[in-house]
Amino acid sequence: MAEQVISPDLGFVKDVIASGGESLKKCFQCATCSVVCNLAPDDKPFPRKEMIYAQWGLKDRLISNPDVWLCHQCSDCTAYCPRGAKPGEVLGAVRKLAIEHYSFPSFLGKAVGKPQFLVLLFAIPVVVLFIVLALLGNLNLTAIPRGEDGGIVYAKFMPEIYIEVIYIAVSAFVVFSFVMGIRRYWKDMSVDKKGQILAAGSILGTIASIIGEILAHKRFEKCELTKERKISHFLVFYSFIGLAITAAWGVFYLYVLHRESPYPLTDPMKWLGNAGALGLLIGITLVVIYRSRNKEKAGIGSYFDWLLIVVIAAIAVTGMAAQCLRLAEVAVLAYPVYFLHLVFVFFLFAYAPYSKMAHMVYRTVAMVFTKHAEKGVEIVTKAG
Amino acid sequence: MAVEKTKSILVVGGGISGITTAVEAAEVGYEVTLIEKNPYLGGRVNQLNKYFPKLCPPNCGLEINFRRIKNNPRVKFYTMAEVEKISGTEGDFDVTIRLEPRFVNENCTACNACVEACLIERPNEFNFGMDKTKAIYLPHDFSFPLRYVIDEKYCTKEKCNKCVEVCTYNAIDLNMKPQSLSLKVGSIVWATGWNPYDATKIDNLGFGTYQNVITNMMMERLASQNGPTKGKILRPSDGKEPSRIAFVQCAGSRDENHLPYCSYVCCLASMKQATYIREQYPEAEIFVFYIDIRAPARAERVYMKALKDEKIKFIKGKVAKIEEDPTTRDLTVTAEDALTLQKIHEKADMVVLATGMAPITRESKIPAGVSYDTDGFILLNTGVAGMYAAGCSLKPIDVYSSVQTATAAALKAIQSASGGVRR
Repeated sequence: MAEQVISPDLGFVKDVIASGGESLKKCFQCATCSVVCNLAPDDKPFPRKEMIYAQWGLKDRLISNPDVWLCHQCSDCTAYCPRGAKPGEVLGAVRKLAIEHYSFPSFLGKAVGKPQFLVLLFAIPVVVLFIVLALLGNLNLTAIPRGEDGGIVYAKFMPEIYIEVIYIAVSAFVVFSFVMGIRRYWKDMSVDKKGQILAAGSILGTIASIIGEILAHKRFEKCELTKERKISHFLVFYSFIGLAITAAWGVFYLYVLHRESPYPLTDPMKWLGNAGALGLLIGITLVVIYRSRNKEKAGIGSYFDWLLIVVIAAIAVTGMAAQCLRLAEVAVLAYPVYFLHLVFVFFLFAYAPYSKMAHMVYRTVAMVFTKHAEKGVEIVTKAG
Repeated sequence: MAVEKTKSILVVGGGISGITTAVEAAEVGYEVTLIEKNPYLGGRVNQLNKYFPKLCPPNCGLEINFRRIKNNPRVKFYTMAEVEKISGTEGDFDVTIRLEPRFVNENCTACNACVEACLIERPNEFNFGMDKTKAIYLPHDFSFPLRYVIDEKYCTKEKCNKCVEVCTYNAIDLNMKPQSLSLKVGSIVWATGWNPYDATKIDNLGFGTYQNVITNMMMERLASQNGPTKGKILRPSDGKEPSRIAFVQCAGSRDENHLPYCSYVCCLASMKQATYIREQYPEAEIFVFYIDIRAPARAERVYMKALKDEKIKFIKGKVAKIEEDPTTRDLTVTAEDALTLQKIHEKADMVVLATGMAPITRESKIPAGVSYDTDGFILLNTGVAGMYAAGCSLKPIDVYSSVQTATAAALKAIQSASGGVRR
């Protein structure tokens, strides 16, 4: 056998341990995990090899490894692990470090993963929105103009145009950041595959089939211990889609039909919005319930996991509460709650490339790459 | 001697360890009472086909010991006996023993007439349920004492009475009641032994659901001349001669969900059992799936020999999934070969789970304040003066090492009982 020089990155080992993979060193490589995992393929299955890469600090074999993302953390591996090494949690930690590694700018990637920066990260939207309110002279909540019927109108507290400018700017930054991350990630994966990827056919077909798979939540179905997670993730996922459509619908009302908010609850747009909010609330509650129920066997998750869960839950709660308080005309609470809602939405969007939210991008890219590379390998073998 | 001590010793457990302690102590002049829960002495060794180090059948080690017991008036033994209560201290224990009724007395000549007359069957636990005996039965061919026994759970007693009618020796007494026995002893040796780990608890390996998934102890019975198949290794579902056999090492061992420790003997036992198969079926393919092979000391040679055998394939990866074809009852075992990075699905006629040894004291504690380790084994320093442990009640070990611990326990028990020079 050819001699191999292993150069461990001890800092990486420490990072994995600090990111929720503290059980890492208990692994004794029995490979139970790779077998009980229904998502792991026959060829180079995970997560056993990832466990030893992580123990040995082989950062370069993990960070750009698409297998890390093919794992959906069903936690069947963790439940059956004879040593309590929790491969599911370790891979979760590796994914967090992968997000951090590919994030642009990287200081934000580091900050989102660390609790000590949490206040600072929240301070940014708070300060930005506060300045806008101060400039508008809307800090005195009792002086904010009401609608024609005397009801609370959030657009008079924080006019849509300011929200749009801020959030469109943020979105542009997020897209740019993701593009930078994906480019580097794709390049690293291609290098590992030694260019075989180039032999593959149309990538669009692959992307379409992967998106179809994601929409149907096919892979979640293969989980055993946490099979109910399909329901909770499904709810959260489609609620977000529903809410995104609602937002676009609102823009259409405002700028195309020139209808001012608030819209009556009888409006179909409000139906969709409320259904989305309710779905989000139920979905994220189920996430918390399922995680707590399975914590003995699957592990409770890391700071990184819970940050996203809490932010999503906060968006759902403050969104629903803002609407209820507006209708109940409790101005003293309604405006601050709406303000908080905007802060949490900002947090979710602006930090998406650095938080666990980025999983939707990196996992999709990894799934596309793997499927694409498989095709590439196939073509190469046939040609040879 | 300041205080008159009782110069007698109680040994609890009549397996190879308990027998050894009993005869060693008796042969240097101490009164020994040996009690055994089963209706026969010899324990788990009886169930083996061959055992290390010499790969001899159980009678080669047990027969001489039974002879030593028979010839030595200082050893009294009771089968179907368990300790009920203990009081007192070192040198002066009062022990109450409960004797379960056997329903067959010393008149029994093992003529088998009763078995022929008996109409009721019971699963044969000696063969791990792979065959049946009558409600009156001889535990196994090599039973010592050579005397039949009635299983009270199955026998309908006087309603049937057939065995009593055919017994010409007046050996059957259906009215036998449990008895109590009081003893004064100076020291007690616990040689309570082990149970095979309950493989039905390993829910991903199909034991108890798939008939052709057996344990290593069942394999010993299948290979034994006095086993359910008369020594011919046949798979349970259809009696077919197996041609592909997979051994699953560490089945429920070194696993915090089951037995967290290594049972020390299972790797070697599987390699031994591979030789049983090789002798009967020279063309059979054997697969041994392992985490790492633990072949301590002299066992290394056995391992090296097995490695050279082209019919035995070692695969580094624990089997974590077994599936059954419901029509053929053939099995597919899945493991990741850590050396090739491939998940492999190997077809097998029969799968042998190398299950470990769980101390009896894991489930049921003994009626004395001795200390246990976290796995339920009795600590070498039991924490109670005058009480000692031997064999697999201490740790999972082979016969050879058990006998060493038994001899050591005999020496300590003698010192306690004599109240003389000690420690």
